[in-house]
Amino acid sequence: MSGILFHKYGGEDLDSYYPIRPECQADVPKVRFKARAGKTLSARRWHAAFSEDGHLDIAKVLRRIQRGGIHPSIKGLVWEFLLGCYDPNSTFEERNQIRQQRRQQYAAWKTECQNIVPIIGSGKFITAAIVTDDGQSLQDSNRDSLDQGWHVDGAISDKKVLQWMLGLHQIGLDVVRTDRSLVFYESETNQAKLWDVLAIYSWVDNDIGYVQGMNDICSPMIVLLENEADAFWCFEHTMRRLRENFRTNTGMIGVQSQLSTLSQIIRTIDPKLHQHLEDLDGGEYLFAFRMLMVLFRREFSFVDALYLWEVRRNLFFTYLSFSENLVLLC
Amino acid sequence: MAAYRADEDYDYLYKVVLIGDSGVGKSNLLSRFTRNEFSLESKSTIGVEFATRSIRVEDKIVKAQIWDTAGQERYRAITSAYYRGAVGALLVYDVTRHVTFENVERWLKELRGHTDSNIVIMLVGNKADLRHLCAVSTEDAKAFAERENTFFMETSALESMNVENAFTEVLTQIYHVVSRKALDIGGDPAALPKGQTINVGGKDDVSAVKKVGCCNA
Repeated sequence: MSGILFHKYGGEDLDSYYPIRPECQADVPKVRFKARAGKTLSARRWHAAFSEDGHLDIAKVLRRIQRGGIHPSIKGLVWEFLLGCYDPNSTFEERNQIRQQRRQQYAAWKTECQNIVPIIGSGKFITAAIVTDDGQSLQDSNRDSLDQGWHVDGAISDKKVLQWMLGLHQIGLDVVRTDRSLVFYESETNQAKLWDVLAIYSWVDNDIGYVQGMNDICSPMIVLLENEADAFWCFEHTMRRLRENFRTNTGMIGVQSQLSTLSQIIRTIDPKLHQHLEDLDGGEYLFAFRMLMVLFRREFSFVDALYLWEVRRNLFFTYLSFSENLVLLC
Repeated sequence: MAAYRADEDYDYLYKVVLIGDSGVGKSNLLSRFTRNEFSLESKSTIGVEFATRSIRVEDKIVKAQIWDTAGQERYRAITSAYYRGAVGALLVYDVTRHVTFENVERWLKELRGHTDSNIVIMLVGNKADLRHLCAVSTEDAKAFAERENTFFMETSALESMNVENAFTEVLTQIYHVVSRKALDIGGDPAALPKGQTINVGGKDDVSAVKKVGCCNA
C-alpha cells in the first residue's frame, strides 16, 4: 500500500482524500496544508516505527507529526494512538484483543438503544421529535414514522431514557448540517453513521448528553475510521478531554471557564487588546466560544483543522496551555 | 464573523438578537441581511455569532449589531450574556414545522424575562417559500403576534423575501422608541452624543430605552 502512495508523494493533491462537492468549492476555506516529503508522517515511516511484536516508537512518530502532520492514508490508524485509544507499548496481539472487546461493548450499547428506538443502526435517522417533554410518544402525529422503522410504545417514564430520546432529533438536525461540503456526507448511510455514534454516545454519557458542537468534533472520526465502533471509541476518547466544555449548568457552559482563562491571559499580555474586546462584548470573550468549543473546525478547512488537531494532540496539552496556544495562534 | 469597524460612521448602535428553535433559519436570515448570502449547506451555530450592518433610518445611520445563537435548549445557559443590552429581537419559527411555532411562547417568555419591557420584538415565520409544506397559518401567527403585542412578518431567507423589511422595521421601531423617549424627557434625539446613546453589552448594561429614561414606561 505504502509503495503505491509513495511514488507521487510531495506536493500531492490531498483534496482527493476528502473530496469537496463541486458546487461547494467556493464556500469552503482554502486548504493550506500540504503533505511534504521528509516532513509529513508517511505510511512507510509509520509502519517502520513498530517493532516486530507491535511496540510503537511513539516519540519518533510524534516528532515527525509535529514537523509535518500525518499523511491522509494513515490518519485514522495514527489518531487511535494520539487519542489514547491504544498504548504504544502494547503488542499487536493485545491491541487486537482490546479492539474486539470494544467493538463488542459498542455493539451491546447499540442493541440497548435499538431496543428503545429501533431506527438506530437502520441506516436512517430522525430530525423531528419522537416524544414530548412529558414522555408522550409522538408517533401518532406522524404516520410516516411507522414506515420509517421506528416506533415507541406507550409513555416514557424513565427519566434517563426520556432525556436521551428528547435529544435524538437535535442530533439529526445537526447531522444534516455537518460538513455537508464533503462528498462523504452526500451518502445517507454516512450521515446515519454519524447520527448513530452521537446517539449512542449521548446514551452512554448521559451526564453530558448531546450538545450542539459535538457533531463537529465527531465528524472527522466518522470520515477517518471505516469501522463505526472504532470511530465511536476515537470520539469517546476525544470527549474524555473535552466533555467538560459541553457541560451546562444554570448560567454557564463549561467552555466559558476557558474563555475566562483566555481573558486573563490577554489582559496580562495585551491590556489594550483586552480593553478593546471588553468594549465590544463586555469582556465575556464570547467571540472565541465557537473556536474553543469545536477546536477551530469552523475557522479552517477540513484538512487544515485535522492538521491543527494533530499538532495540538502532539503537545498533549491541558486546558490552560490550550488557551496559551490560542494566544500564540492569534 | 463580520469584522467590527470602530471607525465606521454611524449615529446609533443597536443590539438585536435572533432567537428561535434549532434549524428555523436564524443564521441564514442573518447572512441574508448582512451579506446578502444564503447557504443550503449552512452549519449549526455554536455558542454565539455576530454580524453587523448599517442602514439609514430617516436621516440617521443606524448600525445593527445582530447576535445569533444556537437553538438547542442546552445553550440557554448563556442566556443572560446573550440578551444583555438587546433593544430588538427577531423571534423566528419555521412555517413548515408547527412545533417551532408552539415553542414561540417559551422563547417570548424567556426574552421578556431578560430584557427591557420596551424591547422591539418581531415574530418571524421563516421558510415561507415552502408554501406547499406550510404547517402554520398566517392567521394563527398574526393573531398570536397581536395578542402578544409584537410585530409579525413571514420571510424567506432563501428567496430574500421580506428579510430586509423585517430587520428594517425592527430597527426603525427601535429608533422611534428611542426618539420618543428622548422627546419625552425634552431632548432631541439628534442631539444625543454619538456613540453614547446605548451601550451594547458594556459594563453599564443599559439598553437604549433605559438610558434615555424609563419614567414614562
